[in-house]
Amino acid sequence: MLLLSNSLTGCDLMFLAWNEIKKNKLRFTLIMGVLMLVSYLVFFLSGLATGLASLNREAVDKWDATAIVLTEESDKSLPQSSLTNEEVDAFKDNETAILGQLNAIATNGDAKQNISLFGIDPEEFIMPDVTEGEKFAGINEVIASDTLKEDGFELGDELELSSTEEKLTIVGFTDSARFNAAPVLYGELATFQKVKFGEGVAEDETQINGIVIRGDDLSSITTSNEDLEVIEVETFIENLPGYTEQALTLNFMIYFLFAISSVIVAIFLYVLTVQKISMFGVMKAQGISNGYLSRSVIAQTFLLAFIGVVVGFALTLISGAFLPAAVPVSFDIPTMIIYGVILIIVAILGAVFSVLTIVKIDPLKAIGG
Amino acid sequence: MAILELNNVKKSFGTGHKQVDALKETNFSAEAGELIAVIGPSGSGKSTFLTIAGGLQTPTSGGILVNNQDLADLNEKQRSKIRLKEIGFILQASNLIPFLNVDNQMKLLDNVKKDNMTKDELNALYENLGIKDLRKKYPADLSGGERQRVAIAKALYSKPSILLADEPTASLDSEKAYEVMELLKKETKQNKTTTIVVTHDTRLIEYCDKVYEMTDGVLELKEKPSKN
Ligand SMILES: Nc1ncnc2c1ncn2[C@@H]1O[C@H](COP(=O)(O)OP(=O)(O)OP(=O)(O)O)[C@@H](O)[C@H]1O
Ligand SMILES: [Mg+2]
Repeated sequence: MLLLSNSLTGCDLMFLAWNEIKKNKLRFTLIMGVLMLVSYLVFFLSGLATGLASLNREAVDKWDATAIVLTEESDKSLPQSSLTNEEVDAFKDNETAILGQLNAIATNGDAKQNISLFGIDPEEFIMPDVTEGEKFAGINEVIASDTLKEDGFELGDELELSSTEEKLTIVGFTDSARFNAAPVLYGELATFQKVKFGEGVAEDETQINGIVIRGDDLSSITTSNEDLEVIEVETFIENLPGYTEQALTLNFMIYFLFAISSVIVAIFLYVLTVQKISMFGVMKAQGISNGYLSRSVIAQTFLLAFIGVVVGFALTLISGAFLPAAVPVSFDIPTMIIYGVILIIVAILGAVFSVLTIVKIDPLKAIGG
Repeated sequence: MAILELNNVKKSFGTGHKQVDALKETNFSAEAGELIAVIGPSGSGKSTFLTIAGGLQTPTSGGILVNNQDLADLNEKQRSKIRLKEIGFILQASNLIPFLNVDNQMKLLDNVKKDNMTKDELNALYENLGIKDLRKKYPADLSGGERQRVAIAKALYSKPSILLADEPTASLDSEKAYEVMELLKKETKQNKTTTIVVTHDTRLIEYCDKVYEMTDGVLELKEKPSKN
């Protein structure tokens, strides 16, 4: 602390700022505390936004894909889209992966959970890496998202599905993969077909929901089939049920908090500045320039905001570590750093009011006579 | 050569029948090393005279030369610079920054201006003013007289060519008031400053080289005090 204090007072700009903070600890701790709480809230909301978003898009992000092809009439909804396996051939210039998808409730007798079943071709890129157990080798075997372990599912579990008599066996786990908030089970396309259509479906009638495409360039992925639509992956995600609404709500709250913290800082600093008008007047009479005084106030705000944000950041990470796994927070450090920088910037914007006040002070009035 | 010169300076407030001529046409000049007293009744225009001389307000007409530089030619920013470089103010109410200790009151100036007193000069000044044991104290922990002496140190620290004091002894008892005047005199002579002291207290004028009297905005040179 002493070292910090020495290096700070050694700096011209921090001279007034730091000496004042030192002498009025309570006052400035309060401002810093408010900034810390606001940034805590912002970071937490951003963690919640990231967590909820990944709840929806995690499995899709793992594809690392450029686009997905669905039928026009499905209106960008994967479960509503239905195309034949042959239609894949139209995109053979690209790296493609077929995808069948359905939602169901799975139970192992004890635990019950909403799941999303992906029917895939194990040779294609949607095939996940197995982190525990092994790959599915035959029909009715699946690899499960390891989030299911927290819900009470284990390797070797036999799963009953709500929509069918078919039973699935968990033969392996993969890293957390969720689609529209449901943990994903990966199985062969044949497994998916059987679950969806029952036993009697003919091989050539196989139906899939979409074709996932990797390609360098979206514009090169085209189709002449008017019934099909090429959808950019980001657009696809935005059209997942509830996704955009959720993201907008949380982001709106975060933006609102930016505005609020700016106003809070503005009010606090303004009150402090008004209290110090005669002191500023005396300094101005002495010939100390508006520029120096303004820069001091800005430097002080920066210092308070910086410390507040850093403490808020640390608190967020600490309390995040103690949260139950069911709370969908996931901290994206780059996003948090950007938000932290924005918080510091809006705090400094809040100081502009005080700067305007200082510039307007008439030294003559301040010194009386 | 005159350090400070006022030529035909007038200052009035308001217009029409409400107009107050706080300062009627005034000519004034002061040399380096002069200690000048301005006395006069309340409302006669002493502070107006002093703040105009110090570039804190502009006259209605007339010119002010500080080291031959006409303040009328300058904008507020430039006048602020002149105040910083050339002028030291000592005010009736303490003009210290509440959250800076005595040493830092001086150091603040180092942040905004070069060529202030050296460490040795400052130590000598502290010694002269009898405040060398107070360097780490904050204004709130000083007595009125100590605060006033620190204010004097602060005004002198930037080595101004002109020192303007408005009732510097008003908050002091007469014993302390004499001490402060003695100090001002010593510093004026030692540093060759031009010092103008506005005061109600006619007993203090015996320390001064010249005495002016202000009556209703008219500034008049009085007979030199007998002593000195
Ligand atoms: N800003 C102003 N607006 C209007 N009138 C003013 C203003 N400043 C001073 N005056 C008037 O000018 C006259 C001179 O004021 P000034 O402050 O110079 O008096 P003074 O000699 O310093 O008095 P005191 O000894 O009480 O300090 C007074 O009549 C005062 O009311
Ligand atoms: Mg006055």
